Amino acid sequence: MLSATAITRRFGRTLALDRVDFRAYPGEIHALVGENGAGKSTLINIFAGRLKPGSGTVALNGEALVTGSAHAALKAGIAAVYQSPMLFERMSWEENLALGGFGTRTLLNDLAGAAGRARTIAAGLGFKLPPDGAPVERRSVGERVRLEILRALSFEPRVLILDEPTGVLAPAELEAFVDTLRRLRAAGRIVVIITHKLAEAIAVADRVTVLRHGRVVATRTAGETSAAELARLMIGDVAASPTKSTKARLRTPDDSAPIAVHGAPALVVENLTLAGEGRRLLDGVSFSVAAGEIAGVAGVDGNGQRELVEVMAGLRKPTAGRLRVVPDRQALAVIAQNRDLDGLILDMPLWENLLLARAVRERFARRGWLQRSSAMAFCAGVLDRYPIRSAGAASLAAALSGGNRQRLAVARALAGDPRVLVVHDVCRGLDLHATAEVHRRLREFAAAGGAVLLISSDLDELMALSSSLHVMTRGRLVAATAADRDAERIGLLMSGAAAES
Amino acid sequence: MLESFLASTIAMATPILLAALGELIVERSGVLNIGIEGAMLVAAFCGLAATYFSGSIALGLLAACAAAMALNALLALLVVNFAVNQVVAGTAIDILALGLTGVFYRQWFGVTGRAITIAPMRPIALGPLARIPLIGRALFDQSVLVYLAFALVPIVALAISCTRYGLELRAAGERPEAADALGLGVYRMRWQALMIAGVLSGLAGAYLTMAYSNTFVEGISAGRGYVALSVVIVGRWNAWGVGAASILFGAAIALQFGLQAFGSAIPYQFFLALPYALTLIVLAFMGGQADAPSALGEPYVRS
Amino acid sequence: MGGAIKWRIATMATSLGAIASAIAIISIVLLALGASPLAVFSDLWQGAFGNWLAATDTLVKSTPLVFTGLAIAIAFQGALWNIGADGQLIIGALAAGAIGPALGGWPHPIAIALMMAAGAAGGALWGGLAGWLRARREVNEVISTIMLNFVAVQILSWAVHGPLMEPSRSFPKSVTIAPTAQLAFYLEPSRLNVGMVLALVFAVGCHLGLFHSARGFELRAIGRNRRASAFFGIPIARITVAAMALSGALAGVGGAVQVSAITHRLYETMSPGWGYEAIAVALVARLNPLAIVPAAILFGALDNGSQAMQRADAVSPVLVNVIQGLVIIILVAFDAVAARGMRGALLGDAEGAVAASGAAAEAGDA
Repeated sequence: MLSATAITRRFGRTLALDRVDFRAYPGEIHALVGENGAGKSTLINIFAGRLKPGSGTVALNGEALVTGSAHAALKAGIAAVYQSPMLFERMSWEENLALGGFGTRTLLNDLAGAAGRARTIAAGLGFKLPPDGAPVERRSVGERVRLEILRALSFEPRVLILDEPTGVLAPAELEAFVDTLRRLRAAGRIVVIITHKLAEAIAVADRVTVLRHGRVVATRTAGETSAAELARLMIGDVAASPTKSTKARLRTPDDSAPIAVHGAPALVVENLTLAGEGRRLLDGVSFSVAAGEIAGVAGVDGNGQRELVEVMAGLRKPTAGRLRVVPDRQALAVIAQNRDLDGLILDMPLWENLLLARAVRERFARRGWLQRSSAMAFCAGVLDRYPIRSAGAASLAAALSGGNRQRLAVARALAGDPRVLVVHDVCRGLDLHATAEVHRRLREFAAAGGAVLLISSDLDELMALSSSLHVMTRGRLVAATAADRDAERIGLLMSGAAAES
Repeated sequence: MLESFLASTIAMATPILLAALGELIVERSGVLNIGIEGAMLVAAFCGLAATYFSGSIALGLLAACAAAMALNALLALLVVNFAVNQVVAGTAIDILALGLTGVFYRQWFGVTGRAITIAPMRPIALGPLARIPLIGRALFDQSVLVYLAFALVPIVALAISCTRYGLELRAAGERPEAADALGLGVYRMRWQALMIAGVLSGLAGAYLTMAYSNTFVEGISAGRGYVALSVVIVGRWNAWGVGAASILFGAAIALQFGLQAFGSAIPYQFFLALPYALTLIVLAFMGGQADAPSALGEPYVRS
Repeated sequence: MGGAIKWRIATMATSLGAIASAIAIISIVLLALGASPLAVFSDLWQGAFGNWLAATDTLVKSTPLVFTGLAIAIAFQGALWNIGADGQLIIGALAAGAIGPALGGWPHPIAIALMMAAGAAGGALWGGLAGWLRARREVNEVISTIMLNFVAVQILSWAVHGPLMEPSRSFPKSVTIAPTAQLAFYLEPSRLNVGMVLALVFAVGCHLGLFHSARGFELRAIGRNRRASAFFGIPIARITVAAMALSGALAGVGGAVQVSAITHRLYETMSPGWGYEAIAVALVARLNPLAIVPAAILFGALDNGSQAMQRADAVSPVLVNVIQGLVIIILVAFDAVAARGMRGALLGDAEGAVAASGAAAEAGDA
């Protein structure tokens, strides 16, 4: 039995976990649900040894565990698979697995032996493995998740923890995956999965624990609850925001959505191709977005979305094809997926972060010299308007919370008066309130004549906002018709062309 | 003449090769050690001093390695435990080494105008092999450190690519967070790598004052440590490449002595500058970082 | 606003703390050497500021450190590790020393301007070369600039032994530069010259450029987050080359000032390692051009005082290298520890801590 008793954890002023008690029993699949910021990741990070609790204990089968050490957790039999992959990209998959539990502590490596052991387990799971000696960096996201799961299993863990595992699996792979979980359960192991998909949680898990604001709100048996009840527990009041469900039918955009009739094309992409890593990262992508339109691009992460954004930002040059922005390239603003790498410079003050956008820079530079006071005043205005809670225009970006950082990024993108906005996973990690805010701004932008390219892995968001939908798989873009606007159909589209080798 | 040049080439390549092999191991673990130059310098000095005062070459070698390891330990503390900028830390160590060796040299040996000398390590001829025309002297009549250096090339190559240790080392240099999560111990591995490199840099420095020459001059390392850094890059981060590149740069340094043969038409400064200029040129064509370990040079803090 | 001031004070305090710690460690080293720390430091002080002549000479010795310090600061702000300020200074001096003798017929201000321009051009070439190698060929600039240092020394040596050698050929030095190209001494016998004023002017200029110009902003952005800068269309390659060229030019002007004011000709050794010392200067000054001036004076004082120290206590002047190395090490160690503490205090919330702990920041979950 995996147990956590009175776990408390603070990050600075925020209380991430507040005297949390948690129990998971052998032979059980236990789902952990909650809004973003509820404490789910923190809790499993503590179990897996990545974080130390401020106070409280963790025990496995009655024996207290050493916290704060991933290695100790592994030795105790807790293996975790996180959202961001932790594989060694340049090494072959055999080497990766050999570094897991399949390797032996002999002087010379025995890669063949490790691979053989891996194959046995993989066969039992119905997983297909990459060709011999293939480096991991070329493999698709789904394959990598499978490799990670294999590596976790190689340690023969008593507890397997998975953080949003289904987010990167195509719907067709889901079944095999769920099957795996059930087999693990049958073998007496404990499986803990974090998911934000409530229907999935109920379908797969035996018990569900709901976290809200760092506290355990309830634990329910899956059969005795519903997605609606879980949502209520998660959010805490009845006049709730929309429940999240992967079985959502066509969502009609609400009244503030843009009208179906659009203006002239603002962003035209023709036959965009990008070759790299031995394959076509972008393969003849063509589409256009008109003024007033929010074009959604659905797809499992890793199918070319990042590369598409990089080409839009001018970071990479396409191998072929054209990109046209009306009236000119400057009118395009991009909000990247990876905020800390591609978005803000954390140890620069807020007003200088705004200057990163070229349009803003040009606005406040006269013949090469910065108008510092005007720029700072502008920043102060932006902070007021959105609003963004901060210590002032001169404070460092590092001091902003995630939600506020994203607000700043949105503010910056809009500050340059763009005509086209390209946003990638713009609401990831934001709570419902902040998400609604960002959605509202996007709608306003479109209503005022702007064009939005909304790239997202969140189907609900796409359904709610976009007036036209595309699906990205393997670097190709496929337009979805009105009839396809059903989450299951989209899912099929996403996976149909993405059938892994 | 050519025979002499070849022998010099191998001799000159040796300290670079030793230092570069150590740096290869360190860089594979993810650390960029700019302080090799400093380590070689203190090793050269301490090795000479220990031999001078004790009369024992063995003690001298030990002292050289200990000195280099001490300096590397300081670097390890800074860049592994404190996660400080590796370039700045390494440069500081080089400056520090220059100062320390200068101060202690003048303090202990005074400015007598007379060089402090020892009886150096003699080359060991490997029997009849040493008499092979042209290459015999170069390959089989050298100091034991030379043989060691070249023997280490296949050993290091094997160690990195085929052993468990090498696999874990490479993991630390690829993605330290993932390596730590698997319990591989990135801090420990980087410390170990720096200590191994300390021994190798120690031998490299000792070679300069105890085998190749028999005295110490301030700044005797003359940038060889930095050349070793280039050798790792040009060798594409593998031991065989490092071996080949070391020989190339050894040849460039050996050319300095060939200048008498080429007559006085070319100014001697050209030959003195040649190894450094050559490094630049080779790097210009082969300096790409594409094959570098992914996490090389990035400060890493274990969470 | 409060946070920024606190940060400023904190960094200044760590600079001073580092120097104090270095002094403490040096004292131990000195004791080990059998010298008296008290005597050594008081001799250092005497040598640097003891009398009017010493004090002015301290300023004179600080001048090249201001120039090279500025060079380092500019480059480091862009995360360009320019270890080659020595070589850039040498080439700048070489250029100035080469045209100096021919400037006899020019009016004094023009001759000086030409000297400075030559110095800048030489240094810019040397620095720009390393910048180009980095931008276009991915060559690590640490290695390239160090290699260029060694090459520059040889080029200078060749020049003063060969083409530029003075006619009597008795000693490796070049022809004296024309009197119009020389910067005069004021308040003789002190060696005070306009060079220090020039250095100040450049310091102010660098500060303005770095913090008040668009290009300066772009350079600082690149230095802090290269990827994000690329994402926003900042031309990384172009700025890399330009910044390295500018950095080299600054060092080169420093070399030209040396020739113009102090040496009046070229010798085999034109730099006692100012390019490396400048790293300590720049770090103590936290890469802020205005702070470079007092930092340069501090290290210039150490240099000046070390001569007296050698005479009085028989401790090698190379001791200042030990001080420099120690100061850098202690500074960066302090900073690293402080940064981790600071980050915890500043980022008082979940996401921030997640970022600091290296876990998947994008998840945003807490």
